Amino acid sequence: MSTISSHNPMKNAVAFAGAATTGFVAKNSGRSQASLAAQACTDVIKACGLTAADIDGICGMVPSPPEMQTMLGIPRVTWFDNPVMPVVNAVAVATAAVFSGLCQTVLVYHTPYRLPWNTASSLQDPFRGIGMPAGSGPGPESIFGGVGYTAWASRYIHEYNVPREHFGLVAINDRSNAARNPGAAKRTPLTMEDYLSARMIRWPLCMLDMDLPVDGADAFIITTAERARDLALPPVLVNAVTLGMVEKNQEDQTPSLRNHGQQVVVDALRAKSDFWTDGTDIYFPYDGFTPITLNWFENTGWCGPGEGGQFVEANWNAEQQRILIDGRIPVNPHGGALSEGGSQASGHIREAVHQLQGLAGERQVAGARTALITAGGYFFNAQGLTLVSD
Amino acid sequence: MTDLITDADLVRLFPGQPLTHDSAAHYRGRLERRLLINRCTDCGTWQQPPFPICPKCWSTAVVPTEVAGTGTIHLVVFLYQGPPAPGVDYSTPYPVATIELDEQPGLRFTSTVIGAPNDDIVIGKRVTLDWIDRAGTPLPVFRLTEGAAS
Ligand SMILES: [Zn+2]
Repeated sequence: MSTISSHNPMKNAVAFAGAATTGFVAKNSGRSQASLAAQACTDVIKACGLTAADIDGICGMVPSPPEMQTMLGIPRVTWFDNPVMPVVNAVAVATAAVFSGLCQTVLVYHTPYRLPWNTASSLQDPFRGIGMPAGSGPGPESIFGGVGYTAWASRYIHEYNVPREHFGLVAINDRSNAARNPGAAKRTPLTMEDYLSARMIRWPLCMLDMDLPVDGADAFIITTAERARDLALPPVLVNAVTLGMVEKNQEDQTPSLRNHGQQVVVDALRAKSDFWTDGTDIYFPYDGFTPITLNWFENTGWCGPGEGGQFVEANWNAEQQRILIDGRIPVNPHGGALSEGGSQASGHIREAVHQLQGLAGERQVAGARTALITAGGYFFNAQGLTLVSD
Repeated sequence: MTDLITDADLVRLFPGQPLTHDSAAHYRGRLERRLLINRCTDCGTWQQPPFPICPKCWSTAVVPTEVAGTGTIHLVVFLYQGPPAPGVDYSTPYPVATIELDEQPGLRFTSTVIGAPNDDIVIGKRVTLDWIDRAGTPLPVFRLTEGAAS
């Protein structure tokens, strides 16, 4: 029995009133996560024409909601939560909290941060090393965590006999898009030769297949559509939002590339949304690892299983060195996790909001009214979000 | 014999491993070089990782049971860098493989493959359980099965 249905009473009833970012850097910023979050949060509250007293819900991981409330002097809140990433999870619970009346105006934030296990250089900041768990992990004979995506990349290559160049195109697309994003951490052009000669980290994935550890913060205001219409910026309506997971969700027990969390997300999001691939103006597939993006193309229905790379090749704009589906629809126009910086999808969501508000600068997709976001990976973090302009 | 190994001993012998009341028997089995995987005695379903209830029939009669140690490589990566471990030299990329065990479709166990050049360690190859020493405790690993068709 499937429990997935088109039931979606909160469709278009809740909206993003605004989004703000610090921009991302791929080096130690010399700042705390609280400092970065404070900048993005105060920027978005001011941009919406609100004050601290207007916020009655707080939703984010670091700093914790109690710390955020104290830091920004938010007088009273009736709801707060600290959901695990990726960030569509925060959007889902904040949207539901607003729709249900738990609160009316939520501050949502996320602070990508170079943690001590991300890079050797992040360990050089003594403050970052303090919280690092001492002693040994479980040793190398495990595919838990990021290694899991590499392991399933080997399976993808085995089952469909695809060349590594298919992964490389995902990385190049992100880098070409990041060149138009002043907040992106990596903006220098990338060639296939660069990709193929990049340092191998865990075969079959190299340095350029993995998202970029960055410092930065994104912040959002989510409120009722009715209230958003009275605020300073154009509302962006939450058309549908969902998470997805299947019974065997450990990295090494996941049933197959055609049976994991992404398929659940696609079934549910498609049933609950007013549009799908043929109606979206921009597409945001997650790209924390390049094969995740190819899997999302396939599972979302842009192409068949194993055809993600061929789909990218068929929709490749050689002059711009990026994907334009049907010559029109850009993919992760902000540069994604691989080049803007690893944001656990907060960057994808923020760019979608800005695009639908007409605030995306030189990246602006003319007349964009719809965005499809498929965030996260395979195991316990697949998520989806559809947004429409008001 | 391993009944004499206390829970505190296990934590000391297997640093960093996910030891709980539900997984301790598996690690006690390692000390006797027996690979134990939880199996439901009511319906026969094997499960990995170890949980205290059968996901198929909700029986709590789940018993750590020795597997044959034969299977097929389902996933494989080669680590060019990774966590420090005695005897692991990443100058030759270190194979980490998820093995689908013969006991049940989809029942998998992850470790390394020893005794073969990396080019021979590919998805689909048959493997057999073996044991090596890791900092004084036995570690279950796999070898390519001699003469087996891939
Ligand atoms: Zn059972």
